[in-house]
Amino acid sequence: MKMKSLFTLSALTMSAATYAQETTTSTPLQISGSADVYYKYDFSKKPNIGTSFANDQNSVSIGMIDLALKKTTGKASFVGELSFGPRGQYGSIPNGEGETGNADNSFHIQNLYMSYAVTGKLALTAGYMSTFIGYEVIVPTGNFNYSTSYLFTSGPFQNAGIRANYVFSPKVALMVGLFNDWNAYKDVNGVTHFGAQLTVVPVEGWTAYFNVLSGRASGATGTGTIYDLTSAYQVTEKVKIGLNAADYAVTNDNGGYSGVALYLQNAFTPNFSLGLRGEYFQTKDVPDLKGSNVKSITLTANLKSGGLTFIPEVRFDNGSTARFVKNNLDPTKNASQFSLAAVYAF
Amino acid sequence: MHFKFNYNHELYQAIWPGAFLFLFLLMTVSPSAAQNKEKVEELKKDEKGKYIYYEIVNEITAPADSLVDRAHAFFKLKKMSPLTADTIPAGLNDQLMRSGKFIISRTAFVLSHPSGEILYNLVFETRGSKYRFWLTDFQFIPYQRDRYGNFVPSTTKGIPLEKSPGKLNAGEWSDYVSDAGRQSAAFAAGFKEYLSASQQAKPLHKSTSIISTKSW
Repeated sequence: MKMKSLFTLSALTMSAATYAQETTTSTPLQISGSADVYYKYDFSKKPNIGTSFANDQNSVSIGMIDLALKKTTGKASFVGELSFGPRGQYGSIPNGEGETGNADNSFHIQNLYMSYAVTGKLALTAGYMSTFIGYEVIVPTGNFNYSTSYLFTSGPFQNAGIRANYVFSPKVALMVGLFNDWNAYKDVNGVTHFGAQLTVVPVEGWTAYFNVLSGRASGATGTGTIYDLTSAYQVTEKVKIGLNAADYAVTNDNGGYSGVALYLQNAFTPNFSLGLRGEYFQTKDVPDLKGSNVKSITLTANLKSGGLTFIPEVRFDNGSTARFVKNNLDPTKNASQFSLAAVYAF
Repeated sequence: MHFKFNYNHELYQAIWPGAFLFLFLLMTVSPSAAQNKEKVEELKKDEKGKYIYYEIVNEITAPADSLVDRAHAFFKLKKMSPLTADTIPAGLNDQLMRSGKFIISRTAFVLSHPSGEILYNLVFETRGSKYRFWLTDFQFIPYQRDRYGNFVPSTTKGIPLEKSPGKLNAGEWSDYVSDAGRQSAAFAAGFKEYLSASQQAKPLHKSTSIISTKSW
């Protein structure tokens, strides 16, 4: 049955491509994606650093296969992107982990949206989209570091909704939209979130995004609002600087977090780059529980050969409280790990 | 039914459709199987060691000022940008210069996606009954997929095509250079044709032929 479905999908793919040839205003169907595997070793021999992905200790593990389709016909386009594997299925949200009724969930939707370019400057988009918040993304080809930051882990992954993008000039653009709850294919309490993104390009190579997302999620006891600054500056051909700062607060003393991450990267050759990520992350106080913080330093190399990128990485985390464990399970404030990942993009 | 890794049965079930599709795509999205097998026009290097596509055209039928007007029209048609003052090489102020780009695509049968772009500068010059033009300053900018599934430049600073990429990416880089040569030749053919074509006035109203079904 599954085989039949796959052949049907293949046939549909080829049919769509053939149609693209016959329609002069269309672009061919784009197919792209990535696959990733990794090995991680925590020096305490415990899976300590629990950010979103790559948490298996002393194991050669898989990330995910990510497949994306894009098609444009005239002013209209669609993007559909699915991922299969722990990073996409169990590491992302929604997922099947821990939910008996959802245990057979076999894929995760990264993007599924339609877009219409009303004019050269105004575009409308509706569907389920990667979040506009933050510096890092789920798909490993979009990140320099393989492990992810606490800011990424704590923020939204995707937002379903409808949004309008307007480009005022090559240096200024604005997006406003209405969205569901974070990471939800559908919303049970209505479209409750408002979001906006102001994009500014001060100089060539430097882009800054000022983001806000606010709303009351289903079952929440307060309204959550996140303010986020994400910026990247390609200083020279070799040097790139990135910045992510965010503050998230839920009304009625329901906590939140704030943090900042700085990314420094240097491309020694077109195939070899080194990057350093430094992060400070703080959870907010809630009644009867004081917030804590963690500092993290990650040194990552990218070695490219064609579509393949090897990513060796070392990471050191230090918390204000004993949030990690030693080999003998005694609590400790420190954790460190080494990982080696291979990511293939096509 | 027994599985060797029974505890991972659900995971196995989750992965295998994607793995099958991935293998299928690997077979179809093979650049080597998809490369255009047409004759490739290799770029040559100038006296400064930079890649250049250079042509002199002697047999022209239009006067020089008309050629310049046509060249301007062609650049406008192709949406080519003028060079900024700080990027114009010394001694070339009197010449017509534009910047443009070629999109590099990984292609498999009829499926493709852009993998990068090659920026270039074009210089156009007339003298007497001939003109010449050349494309140079080739720079490669790789694309990467953004969070929304669109392919966008991964950097704003291009890598000169003359730069050695090292062993790891030599084959891929060689393809970029070849593609730059092929697309330069195609661009040159279109440019020469546009400059040589007689510029006929376009009708004010588009004429459409109507089929009458009343008499037959």
